[in-house]
Amino acid sequence: MQQTMQPFTFHTPTRISFGEDTAYGVGDIVAEFGASRPLLVTDANLLKAGLLGPIIEALREAGIAEPVIFDQVPPDSDITCVRNAVNIARAASCDSVIGLGGGSVLDTAKVVNIGLTFGVDVMEFEGMNTLTSKLLPFIAIPTTAGTGSEVSAVAMIKDHVEHKKLLFGSRFLFPDVAILDPKLLVSLPPGLTASTGLDALTHAIESFVAMTKNSPSDALCLESMKLIFGNLPRATKDGTDLEARSAMLVGSMMAGLSFTNAGVGIVHALAHAFGGRFGTHHGVTNAIFLPYGMEFNLEAVSDKFDMAYNYLCVVMRDSAEPSKSWFVSGKGDSATNLIQAVRNLNSACGVPSRLKDIKVPELSETEMIELAEIAITDPAIMFNPRLASIEDLVEIIKRAY
Amino acid sequence: MGYFANTEELNKVMEILWNKIKEQPDMSQKLIDTKLVVQFKYRDPDGLLTIDCSDGQEMKIIVGATNLKPIIEMSMKADIAHEFWLGKTNIPLAIMSGKIVSKGPTPKALALLPVIQPAYTLYPLVLQEIGKKIA
Repeated sequence: MQQTMQPFTFHTPTRISFGEDTAYGVGDIVAEFGASRPLLVTDANLLKAGLLGPIIEALREAGIAEPVIFDQVPPDSDITCVRNAVNIARAASCDSVIGLGGGSVLDTAKVVNIGLTFGVDVMEFEGMNTLTSKLLPFIAIPTTAGTGSEVSAVAMIKDHVEHKKLLFGSRFLFPDVAILDPKLLVSLPPGLTASTGLDALTHAIESFVAMTKNSPSDALCLESMKLIFGNLPRATKDGTDLEARSAMLVGSMMAGLSFTNAGVGIVHALAHAFGGRFGTHHGVTNAIFLPYGMEFNLEAVSDKFDMAYNYLCVVMRDSAEPSKSWFVSGKGDSATNLIQAVRNLNSACGVPSRLKDIKVPELSETEMIELAEIAITDPAIMFNPRLASIEDLVEIIKRAY
Repeated sequence: MGYFANTEELNKVMEILWNKIKEQPDMSQKLIDTKLVVQFKYRDPDGLLTIDCSDGQEMKIIVGATNLKPIIEMSMKADIAHEFWLGKTNIPLAIMSGKIVSKGPTPKALALLPVIQPAYTLYPLVLQEIGKKIA
């Protein structure tokens, strides 16, 4: 009997503008929204790197008053930072928000926009689907290719005092516009290029097999995997390779569109648990857990891995990249070959393959169980295609160590 | 027309169900250990139920208005709640499509799901008890 297609909702209201120098169109976009006093949320490193100057100039040229700049977003942003930014923005009567930076900056900017729009503490809106109306205009300009936050409906920040992760999810959190300018990524160091890119690959692979996957998300994942496999080593090796940077930005955005509509899975749940406990980098931790998470899911989704592997073999047949060899040298079946290809990509990008390589201390059985208990209640795991027990998670942790 | 005829019927079903959960130590003790206050807000028809485990000693079931401030607030149509207790709701899909609103710490809300899952078998008994057909 033919299987009926699972119901789904695919929502993507973000206007996506891609191209070299597109960031300089930000002034026109702000004006188009009828806004005149944007809050520009960023981090101090980007300010130092000189990325802000031309954007501020572009705003001026479009007749926008000097933006209010908040450049104090840390790599692992938190609620205190959000509240500070909201206070500054409200005092300056800002009427729109621009986020310029990596995932931490963009997620912070999204939550700041909640506080700026409603004028109440943002904690009133912690949770899923708690927003009921549109926010002020928000323009996301990513400077990494990994998180997909520029097209996603979620934002995660921390409460460093209470040691909690705060999740905000709503269709009203989608940015209005995402500006993808590959030139903004040229100065991103190789390590961050690789780790953020592997975060994007994890989005693509996990949402390709997620419980809530759907046909639109499948198409996005496959193209995203192709772009990432084919271009991440290049972008890592030569940051000025604009072709590779462009492919990574688009691949990451497509993976973002997919996971925000289909979910992620066990790899993200474990990465969140370890990131929360040991402060490990999200992209690197995902990269380490990805092959093990795929092996765990293999019995539930081998047909999907098989399909992805065969698709990638076909579309990369004429590739001049070394990545081509990753897809023809496997000795196992197609599904296990895909897992090997992921390992090969991690290795080609110089990303650590074990938890012990990223300074995670040796863990006792009790500590592993505690981490598994955190992972099993992480929202990401509810989308995983195979139900995981505490014992399953402990086993994955042991293997990844 | 939704499954529940009115607020009275909805509240009655949920109150009986939660009292049955309270009688099952396997479930109730785990809920008490969370020390959470969870509020369920239903619409079509309206309904309000609060489960208060805040003292870590006892599980209190409050039907209707209360001054308690919930830590987790779950809002949904009463029909979604009905399907949930029958084990028919795909929770990830319901959250993705905005059918369930979960206010407060999402991981804590999700941690409750496996705890209350055994109550799926109790729910049809509750409906039977009040003479309502399972639709």
